[in-house]
Amino acid sequence: MMMLSRVAERLYWMARYLERAEDTARLTQAYSHLIMDIPAGSEPGWDILVRILDGEPVFGENRAYNEQNVLKFLIADDDNPGGIAYCIKAARENVRTTRDVLPEEVWEHVNELYLYSQEHAAKSVGRRNRHRFLEQVITQCQMINGLLMTTLCRDHAYRFIKLGHLLERADMTTRVIDVGAGALLGNERLNEAVDPLIWASLLQSLSAMGTYRRTIGPLVEVNAVVEFVFRERSLPRSVRFCLDGIRQELVPLKHNKEALRILDRSRRSLSRFNPEKAEREDLHRFIDRFQLELNRLGGMISETWFMPVKD
Amino acid sequence: MDNSWKRYNGPQAGDFFDELITDTGRPRVVARNAVKMLQALSAEEMAARRAAAELAIREMGISFTIYSEGKNIDRAWPFDIIPRIIPAKEWRKVSLGLAQRSRALNCFINDIYNKQKILADGLLPADIVLESGNYKAQCANVSPRYGAWAHICGTDLVRDKDGRFYVLEDNLRVPSGVSYMLENREITKRVLPELFENHSILPVDDYPSRLYSTLASLSPREQRRPRIVVLTPGIFNSAYFEHAYLAQGMGAELVEGSDLFVDDDDCLYMRTVDGPERVDVVYRRIDDDFLDPEAFREDSTLGVPGIMRAWKQGNVSIANAPGSGVADDKVVYAFVPEMIRYYLGEEPTLASVKTYLCMNQPDRDYVLANLDKLVVKPANESGGYGLMVGPHASKEKRAEFAKLIESNPRNYIAQPTLALSTAPTCIDDSVEPRHLDLRPFILQGKDSWVTPGGLTRVALVKGSLVVNSSQGGGSKDTWIVEDKQT
Repeated sequence: MMMLSRVAERLYWMARYLERAEDTARLTQAYSHLIMDIPAGSEPGWDILVRILDGEPVFGENRAYNEQNVLKFLIADDDNPGGIAYCIKAARENVRTTRDVLPEEVWEHVNELYLYSQEHAAKSVGRRNRHRFLEQVITQCQMINGLLMTTLCRDHAYRFIKLGHLLERADMTTRVIDVGAGALLGNERLNEAVDPLIWASLLQSLSAMGTYRRTIGPLVEVNAVVEFVFRERSLPRSVRFCLDGIRQELVPLKHNKEALRILDRSRRSLSRFNPEKAEREDLHRFIDRFQLELNRLGGMISETWFMPVKD
Repeated sequence: MDNSWKRYNGPQAGDFFDELITDTGRPRVVARNAVKMLQALSAEEMAARRAAAELAIREMGISFTIYSEGKNIDRAWPFDIIPRIIPAKEWRKVSLGLAQRSRALNCFINDIYNKQKILADGLLPADIVLESGNYKAQCANVSPRYGAWAHICGTDLVRDKDGRFYVLEDNLRVPSGVSYMLENREITKRVLPELFENHSILPVDDYPSRLYSTLASLSPREQRRPRIVVLTPGIFNSAYFEHAYLAQGMGAELVEGSDLFVDDDDCLYMRTVDGPERVDVVYRRIDDDFLDPEAFREDSTLGVPGIMRAWKQGNVSIANAPGSGVADDKVVYAFVPEMIRYYLGEEPTLASVKTYLCMNQPDRDYVLANLDKLVVKPANESGGYGLMVGPHASKEKRAEFAKLIESNPRNYIAQPTLALSTAPTCIDDSVEPRHLDLRPFILQGKDSWVTPGGLTRVALVKGSLVVNSSQGGGSKDTWIVEDKQT
């Protein structure tokens, strides 16, 4: 089955934006809950949510990092490419021109999600409606994912959608761990009592709390969490799982040599990293480097299969 | 409950020809069963069928885009559930006439870009043709396969009050509307399935496969399945729905300009995830001017640089061929009957509308003196833009057109106002006569083929003659029915 590069690119971005919308919603949800649990005075600032998504340049210097501004930025702003409303709109634009290679219901559901977000995003910045909105976004994204996974023919369309999902998810998972790393929180905010709460809420944002308890145990402990979220093969949001899945989809594609080389390098550095021996500083630096590798992989995917250049 | 049909105020004293009802108020023979069945429906039931049609249109996603107030608006397709019915016997003659016309037009285009015999023989003035904006010098000395240039032609027909079909104009550049013809039939099948029991209606749904065969016959490479693409300007084009529909129907790729490139071997390729794939035939739905920034408008981002080179080398076929528009100029229209005699040695079987060419002094004088009786049209606009219907125009409008004609006579033609035929149409809660036209599609490749029927467009505003969907027109399913009694 032949596939136009442009169509492959739009499917890939549809998947990335849908995943990003869901992940941002999860993160925001988990963080909003966390803040309520932590004793006044030691709670981390709202700025973390912006920094975790590398959103500072778009957020700008003139806005204060308070709850209202940050949540509006994450939920409703239409110029923030990491924001929920923006991602949903971008996903819809990508589906609009690829409808004919997707199951019919995909367009309907994506369009519905878009209409929902258009109507409710701005009204859901405050604590009162926020929870419901985020839940809705997460649920509908999951439904669309489920629809894609159960109805898509396993050809190029499926392949590029999966690449988009997994790459975005791997990236987001490393960002979530970065919140736990001291560098983001600032050492002065750290204390023994608060730490497990933060890590637990991060696990929750990855839907991984239950699996963690069953696999590792009830005690939330830093090194175990990092190890688990980085390298647990069976956890669908672990970095390892995502990279393995990407590899599986890259292998059948033509001209995959460069992309595989970059991917395998990332996989090796992931297996070599040892959370037991790493300080928080090291963890943060590792994540920084790792994210650059993922960016490089994304760049190579688009250069190899999407770029409108002559061969 | 009274059925609104009983009050149908059809043709009065032969003012108009009505497609379904005779002057005496009785259904025409060919429409008898359909009218009987529709008249038997109660007002509630009629309303329910109309609602079902609207729902089907929304569900099937049949829409068209209009550009208004700086915005693109996606509108649901306006459809009237009462079909327009034409006897098969009558249609066969029309169909032969359409094929004849298309053959002659293609001979003409091929002649103009090659030997120009018709100009040398003085049948029509050379400057009319060669100075027209539709004549593309870049296309000279090209001979496409089978001498076919306008592979897809949409010819607009109307019936005057004498009940005869007249050719109003030929659309040879990028005629649209065929997907709506197909969808209209789909909707009618869903909404009025009973009607199909008592009629043998010629099917229309093999159009995409006919189009595929026509396009495939143009392939420069001998291949079992030539690579065909539909080239669209993109989602913001008013006919994007149709482009996607036809691509899907033919199993062809729907591409945008940036998906294609011409390589150093002067062949056309499309960019795929497996690398470049050679393209054999391009069914393009963008205008000549935007087709190739190397040959036409430099600022075009919709087209493909070098595609004209590939076409001239014979490495790719383009349908319709660039430059085909030279024959759908409204001034050239006046000469088509002559062309049929000249190229085919046949008498035209389809009537044309008397056309006054403002470039000729006596015609111009007549037009200016009779603006209130004539329809004035610019020579090369389509979509019903820039025309004036004399009897319906204000004094100011007529003065404006008089000035336009005097300043650029070559650009205007005028025709008598035809009494377009009517058909019963659902308007609010009643059934009223509305004017309509018909656009059949003619395919020309190795063989020629004419759609059974075509797209019927109907002016929903009372008394209006403007049927274009961009200007408030609707549409009807068009039936060609075998009439066993005749």
